[in-house]
Amino acid sequence: MDESSLIARVRAGDSAAERALYDAHVDRVYRLAFRLAGDDALAQDFTQETFIRAFDRLGSFRGDAAFSTWLHTITTTVVLNGLRKVKRFRQRETDIDDAHDIGSMPRHAEPDLKTRLKQAIDQLPEGYRTVFVMHDVEGFTHEEIGVALGVETGTSKAQLSRARAKLRVALADFAGEWIT
Amino acid sequence: MTDQHEDPKFDQWLKERAKSYHSPLPTPRDALWKRIENARRHKRVIELRPWMRWAVAAAAVLVLGIGIGRWSTNQPSAPAAAGTRVAIEIDSLADVAYQVAATQYLSRTEAFLTSFRADANRSVNTARLARQARDLLTTTQLMLDSPAADNPRLRSLLEDLELVLMQISLLNPVQDGQDRDLITQGMNQSNVLPKLRSAIPAGPVSARNQGAL
Repeated sequence: MDESSLIARVRAGDSAAERALYDAHVDRVYRLAFRLAGDDALAQDFTQETFIRAFDRLGSFRGDAAFSTWLHTITTTVVLNGLRKVKRFRQRETDIDDAHDIGSMPRHAEPDLKTRLKQAIDQLPEGYRTVFVMHDVEGFTHEEIGVALGVETGTSKAQLSRARAKLRVALADFAGEWIT
Repeated sequence: MTDQHEDPKFDQWLKERAKSYHSPLPTPRDALWKRIENARRHKRVIELRPWMRWAVAAAAVLVLGIGIGRWSTNQPSAPAAAGTRVAIEIDSLADVAYQVAATQYLSRTEAFLTSFRADANRSVNTARLARQARDLLTTTQLMLDSPAADNPRLRSLLEDLELVLMQISLLNPVQDGQDRDLITQGMNQSNVLPKLRSAIPAGPVSARNQGAL
């Protein structure tokens, strides 16, 4: 059965069709949520919220773009809003905890490449990180990213280029790995 | 778009290495589907509009007082039709004020519990967590004592929240890790977060405040 027929059945209240539509898309939604959140519990929460909203708003899906593109728009909105909330909450905690911890910072060993790469990606500005993860890690096209984030394709390309440039600087210690 | 930083060798190297960034676990399809079904079922049943009414006066009394005061000083001989219009405006003002307050409470509780669960394995300040839980607990108990709790579904949600918040407010710094695991397990079993989310209107906070709560 093609996707438009499946969507029509979901709109008609067919619960088996809902499950089929969910099965067809849940992996990519969960993967994207996990890549952006870096946490299983959050990724599950965001995936759940994405599908609840998608089913609630399926009536507004006009079919101008692919269903997956529409669904990923919801996913990125849910994930980015959710992460901002968690970040604000953690920041408040950190600010207060840091005030008590001054002078007692532990020394860490020199981190390896994997750790440094993770830190560097985490420290990218939100827009750069989102585009980088969607394009270079999850394989979305710039057109898909543009629709999902509500930006021009050129903006997505520019943000990816700037993200890579920042990462290149942050990982300069490992330059031998890609130059050879 | 290209720029001066373009370096195909680096880009290729980066792409390969970045695959390890937040490498996802296998999708828990069935468990997630169950959660989605439960949350949607709950969302269909819960109706928060009735409990918006009870607290209109309490939540918006200042807004109303100021509004009435300003209106009466500016309109010394207002006709009856104007009075009716003002009454309608007051009603909608009060609705908005209450929606804002309730949405903020639910959103704060959701953010707090989401972070609590996500931070279960991180070292966070127990005393601070307990203090935040106590603040939210006070509001929850006020709501439980109000006519809002006449709605059985909402009452059930508030009772679940009360239990979780009470447990967090009593967290023992010595047995912190063990306690947190138990609280998180309880939260998962009672589905408290999905229920809470289904009670919060979708969209950004500013939009939520305009939507039907």
